[in-house]
Amino acid sequence: MIAAEAQYRDWMLAGLSGDRAAYSRLLAQLGGHLRAYFARRVGTDAEDLVQETLIAIHTKRATYDPALPFTAWVHGIARYKLIDAWRRDKRRATVSLEDAPDLFAHDDSEAAGAKRDVEKLLAKLPPQKRDLVRAVKLEGRSIAEEAEATGLSETVVKVTVHRAVKSLGQELGQGMEGRGEN
Amino acid sequence: MKTDELIAHLSDDLTPVPAHYVGRVLAMGLGLGFLLSAILMLAAMGPRPDLSVAMEGGAFWMKLAYTLSFAALGLWMVERLGRSDTSARRPAAFLLVPILLLLIVAIVQFYQPGIDRHHMVMGDSWKVCAIDILTISVPAFVAVFWALRKLAPTRLTLAGAGAGLLAGGIGASVYAFHCVEYTAPFILIWYTGGMAASALIGAGISRWALRW
Repeated sequence: MIAAEAQYRDWMLAGLSGDRAAYSRLLAQLGGHLRAYFARRVGTDAEDLVQETLIAIHTKRATYDPALPFTAWVHGIARYKLIDAWRRDKRRATVSLEDAPDLFAHDDSEAAGAKRDVEKLLAKLPPQKRDLVRAVKLEGRSIAEEAEATGLSETVVKVTVHRAVKSLGQELGQGMEGRGEN
Repeated sequence: MKTDELIAHLSDDLTPVPAHYVGRVLAMGLGLGFLLSAILMLAAMGPRPDLSVAMEGGAFWMKLAYTLSFAALGLWMVERLGRSDTSARRPAAFLLVPILLLLIVAIVQFYQPGIDRHHMVMGDSWKVCAIDILTISVPAFVAVFWALRKLAPTRLTLAGAGAGLLAGGIGASVYAFHCVEYTAPFILIWYTGGMAASALIGAGISRWALRW
């Protein structure tokens, strides 16, 4: 990434003042670097992390200090998302142990279990994402309302909810597999 | 969603960012923190009755300068650590300056002849000082964490410690208008203790409070 620092920084500065062409070129380039970075470290979920990091770069772009190297800023965010994903996986792995008594305490046919499961799943999301999913998917509020309420743009709300629901779906899938093995 | 589509979405979504965004967010958190903590102090404890007299003496200003320097260094740490890959080593190292300065004053005061040393260290309020500082810091704590969540902290524990230090510095500065203690040893131990506790709490809750 170091050779490209000057070019990327120029694109970033243009993007920060609203130049969409430069910005999408930048994101596409960063996407390539991130893909390689994550693929070496996590394997199958790499593309998810690429997208999550691109969204993070987008929503946090105002925190980039032009006096500092741009590539270091991107690397900081990518590393953070990587560590966050590792922590999430670790928690997932330990949850199955802690859940052992829970497995026999409840019967899957209980209808009431569904609601509890939804809340349990939601608890795995970071607070901001959780609130968005709850508002849009459970309380039926519109994307526009939520964008207004949170101060995020509609696109970011839409993309965040979409991705959060997708990740919950995967979470659910893995939970099922785990149960099947028991 | 494919990554190409996502990039197209994000680019469509692009709006120019406000100048000095980080500074503005932090200024808002700082202002709100001072305001709410001051309201809490006035409502729950009230200013010291002899405030106008105390403000003519040096001890009051020494105490305030000490706590404000912690708030300033905490703010500096948060400003650095709120921007992804950055280091806060310098502001953290600068913490030694006010501590060492006050330590010198404390030693000089402590070894004055014919002085009640126990009272110099414990004052009349050592039991409540650090706890009161923590209590007054709570609104500032919330305001500072709210601001930091709008930024991009990637070292959560350090960022949480910096934010806790800032909130503790705000709380202690506000508390200085209530508290009548004036000796350097007292301030060195109990004020520093209250602010350090706030920083520790900030570091402790950071994984939960700052995750994004």
